Amino acid sequence: MNDQDNGLRRRATGRRIAAMGLAVAASLAMFAPALAREQGVQGQSVGTTANVEAANDPLEGFNRGSFKLGMGLDHVILAPIAHGYMAVTPRVVRNRVSSAVYNLGEPNTVMNMVLQGKPKRAMRSTTRFVVNSTFGVLGLFDVAAKMNLPRRGADFGQTFGKWGAKPGAYLYVPLMGPLNVRDGVGRALDFVTDPVSLYVGGLSTDFGKARTGVTIVDLRSNTDPAFQALKDAADPYVTTRSAYTQYREAFVRDATGDAEVLPDFDAPPPEAPPQDASPATPKP
Amino acid sequence: MTGKTMTNTTSTRRGANAALLAFFGAVAIGGPALAQNSARDAGAEAFVQAKAQRVITVLANKSMSDAQKTQVFHQAVDELADVPRITNFVLGKYARTITPEQRARFTPVFRTYAENVYQSRIDDYRGEQLKVVGSVVNKPGDVTVKTVISGGQITQPLPVSWRVLGGGQTWKVVDVQFKGIWLAITQQQDFVSTIDNAGGNIDVLINQLQKGGSAPSGRRK
Repeated sequence: MNDQDNGLRRRATGRRIAAMGLAVAASLAMFAPALAREQGVQGQSVGTTANVEAANDPLEGFNRGSFKLGMGLDHVILAPIAHGYMAVTPRVVRNRVSSAVYNLGEPNTVMNMVLQGKPKRAMRSTTRFVVNSTFGVLGLFDVAAKMNLPRRGADFGQTFGKWGAKPGAYLYVPLMGPLNVRDGVGRALDFVTDPVSLYVGGLSTDFGKARTGVTIVDLRSNTDPAFQALKDAADPYVTTRSAYTQYREAFVRDATGDAEVLPDFDAPPPEAPPQDASPATPKP
Repeated sequence: MTGKTMTNTTSTRRGANAALLAFFGAVAIGGPALAQNSARDAGAEAFVQAKAQRVITVLANKSMSDAQKTQVFHQAVDELADVPRITNFVLGKYARTITPEQRARFTPVFRTYAENVYQSRIDDYRGEQLKVVGSVVNKPGDVTVKTVISGGQITQPLPVSWRVLGGGQTWKVVDVQFKGIWLAITQQQDFVSTIDNAGGNIDVLINQLQKGGSAPSGRRK
């Protein structure tokens, strides 16, 4: 009996610690950006707006190395798998797979819409999940979209942004891709609080393993045009950072309702240095 | 033992969910109301509806060869876009220091590069219908027109925004936004970084664009 009590007490303490840990992580996500801003380095400046201000990339040297490693790993592991998948699977089948993967993410979307104080959006996404899971044959068909219930995403990174957290320092993690402090914490929370993982099966189950594998292949094949587009870039690292930053800021604006402020198109930013005919050593 | 551990973990994570819901719920109560910009510009919207739809229609035309599409796109660019303004914008801070000789070299190189990139991005999605859904006046003569592209191979309607400058019935596109990403802004950051890393030497960028971006074997397509 005493052992049982101790066990229950330990479990309750564990839950409290975990909850406190997540609350601390959430708080860190709120305040880290302010710290990161103060420590931010001067990147290239393209304007004075939220989404295009000087890049906050204090770890640029490390990140460039990670990017190079990540692109190398993608080249030998993920890209061949994705291209093989795209070669043997008709687009219509891939679309069904994408719908099913997206559908499994809807409960997490609903949770974040609630956390953002958006009950109408949460209801719409709940309806989408119910309709697509039943009439849409486990999400294979997006029946709800035809009922004027289009897709609308939400995640913890967006939720933090909705409540004022700034993105913080930029990070590049091989095989996970571009991130920032806010979205890194958000992605970890998305993972540990995902309702489908909790109630149907996480990574320790066959379902969870299959879901993760299919999600990775689906994500890589869906983002293949972006990987192809990088071949056009003069500096693929900066192009990836810029695109990711803009993409996430637009996603956060979708939750905040803030208007986008764009740089003046005809006024070049200041700080043009004098030209040096001898090229400097490029950054790694 | 393993089962007990898993139960503990699941309970812990459910508890964490509840804590998070409570945390954000409390914040939500005090959340501020947000204002929306509702200004629209009918002239800019009509311009995008007509000119951008034409480009989309050409690129979705299955009876035309890729070479024909590229030729038509090349001709349509001047009607649709303000190429000189975009050329200046993508140079960022280096627009102030570029020499006339470098500008003369950069202008045609960038035009070829930009035509290829813009055509590729629009063509990636292979939509057929473009519908204007609204616009936002950033300032007089500077409007973001919001559209949705659908049909063709697009399974979910694709939001695309067009930044246009001008006035009355005379407008030109200076930037296009897919999935929140502005092409010209991204190019500006890309180009400025490349020049920065070359010690401010703009010729390095021009040579790289001539070779076709960072791809070792030249530009794709």
